[in-house]
Amino acid sequence: MVLKIQNVSKNFGGINALKDVTFSINEGEIYGLIGPNGAGKTTMFNLITNIFEPTSGEIIFNGENITALKSYKITEKGICRTYQNIRLFPQMSALKNVMVGGHCRSNAGVFSSVFRTKSQRKEEQELTKKAEELLELVGLLEFKDTFAENLAYGQQRRLEIARALASNPSLLLLDEPAAGMNEKETDSLYDLIKMVQSMGITVLIIEHDMPLVMKLCDRITVLNFGEKLAEGTPEEIQSNEAVIEAYLGKEEEEEIA
Amino acid sequence: MLADIINPYFLQILSFILINILLAISVYVPLSSGQLSLGSAGFMGVGAYTSALLTIHFDIPLIIGILAGACVAGILGIIVGIPSLRLSGVYLAIATLGLGEVIRVIFVNWESLTKGSIGLTGIPQMGREILNFAKGFGFDPAMIGLKSNQFVYLVIVLILLLLVIATIWFVVRQQNSRVGRSLSSIQMDEKAAESMGINITYYKVLSFTQGAFLAGLAGALFAHVMGYISPSDFSYHRAVEILIFTVFGGSEVILGAVFGATFLTLVPEVLRFISDYRYIIYGIVLIILMAVRPQGIFDIHLLNRLKGLKRSKGGVR
Ligand SMILES: Nc1ncnc2c1ncn2[C@@H]1O[C@H](COP(=O)(O)OP(=O)(O)OP(=O)(O)O)[C@@H](O)[C@H]1O
Ligand SMILES: [Mg+2]
Repeated sequence: MVLKIQNVSKNFGGINALKDVTFSINEGEIYGLIGPNGAGKTTMFNLITNIFEPTSGEIIFNGENITALKSYKITEKGICRTYQNIRLFPQMSALKNVMVGGHCRSNAGVFSSVFRTKSQRKEEQELTKKAEELLELVGLLEFKDTFAENLAYGQQRRLEIARALASNPSLLLLDEPAAGMNEKETDSLYDLIKMVQSMGITVLIIEHDMPLVMKLCDRITVLNFGEKLAEGTPEEIQSNEAVIEAYLGKEEEEEIA
Repeated sequence: MLADIINPYFLQILSFILINILLAISVYVPLSSGQLSLGSAGFMGVGAYTSALLTIHFDIPLIIGILAGACVAGILGIIVGIPSLRLSGVYLAIATLGLGEVIRVIFVNWESLTKGSIGLTGIPQMGREILNFAKGFGFDPAMIGLKSNQFVYLVIVLILLLLVIATIWFVVRQQNSRVGRSLSSIQMDEKAAESMGINITYYKVLSFTQGAFLAGLAGALFAHVMGYISPSDFSYHRAVEILIFTVFGGSEVILGAVFGATFLTLVPEVLRFISDYRYIIYGIVLIILMAVRPQGIFDIHLLNRLKGLKRSKGGVR
């Protein structure tokens, strides 16, 4: 088991964003987290990466309780994320953005940076090379010198994934990676996430694009008003009455309307 | 020949420019991690008084006094930097400005040590110390065709120039490294930086401390260039002046700090012939610049264009 969410609740000044949610993710899985707007999905990511601490409950990563660990330590442990509302470093080139992602896997300090010691130069070379490989993987190598803010929306989403991968995560958290993407971009996103899985990285993905989720995920948890509504394989979720009632049915109605 | 071109007055202005460049960089460095500090005048004062008192009372070599001044300011930077982490933007600016005033008031009131608002005189002057030292080896400025006071100011300028070059070299190298990337990522998005595994506490305190150290260094140098200091040299006027150097030249790039300090130190000197009106012109220049170019003279875009870089190859939005 890579990640275990145990009876986690989060209360924002009276609003229960999450209520007693429990689920766990196996190694190598692509795990989906779905549910209507405001269900608490992003909040779950914020708790896992300790942007906030849960009101109660525990988060166990590879057998270790990481509930109260600082954000940057959690990244060092091997969890890295992307954001629903893209948070790249806008006036930094694509390449540098990815190199920042490699921060916790490198260690040059002030002294070795200023005097360009041998090990520092080697490390910079390796960081650059790895960043270029990741840009290649997400199809952005030709934009490596472009400022992140000048990339198209879909490109920014993929750059965020490359940046997260640079931290060598064993668990990757993706918050609505397909949002704002067209069909073609979504297809290549599917390939990319499968590729990430084949690299041995476990993926937890929040997504509203149901065809993508059903095609991609091994298992899914559905949240509704902060509570876990159902858990299961895509087939089980698609035929679950409560889920259809609360979420899937509505999506279809919206699409028809 | 050499003696004719070397004018002590110009050399002194040049030495002020160089000290002001150090001060402007002391604002630039913390700003590169998103921290707007107005504490430079205060840290400058700490460096100046530390080195002045040590060299007056204990007869220690200037170089050690100057280093001690910079280090004491740096240590104060760590002590202040840690609680300041909670503050950002204008709140940090106001708190650090307040810190500078507290330091100044201490200088005014601790009369037994600092001689109060009269200030310290008889601080060993850098150029003269070196001249005396060189004379000990039988050197005479006349040997290279200079008068004593020309030699004194020339030596000061050369030392300051060396220090400024070393500082710029340090900052630029740091910037193009893992450390520099961390600082700018914190400046652009602190939360995202932290979730990329960056210990933001460490890097923010680091850059704040570097700024304090640099301001302390500049202060110590100032004391040994002037030979006398008083609390009013480190008032909030000075703090604002230093901030303006950086903002005017462009706070995104180190070239901005260098340019701002140079230009704005020169303007009042060049305009000396119109006496009091020069500060009106100084003010008007500032207003016009902030109106047409709020990011300052130099910014990343301008630099890249100067370098002839194609910044965006077909990036569409
Ligand atoms: N920082 C916060 N402070 C207060 N309330 C918050 C905060 N973050 C989230 N909430 C509330 O928690 C609830 C869950 O929000 P969350 O962002 O987790 O939803 P979500 O499932 O990601 O929705 P969406 O699909 O729209 O992204 C919402 O009611 C939201 O208003
Ligand atoms: Mg969300």
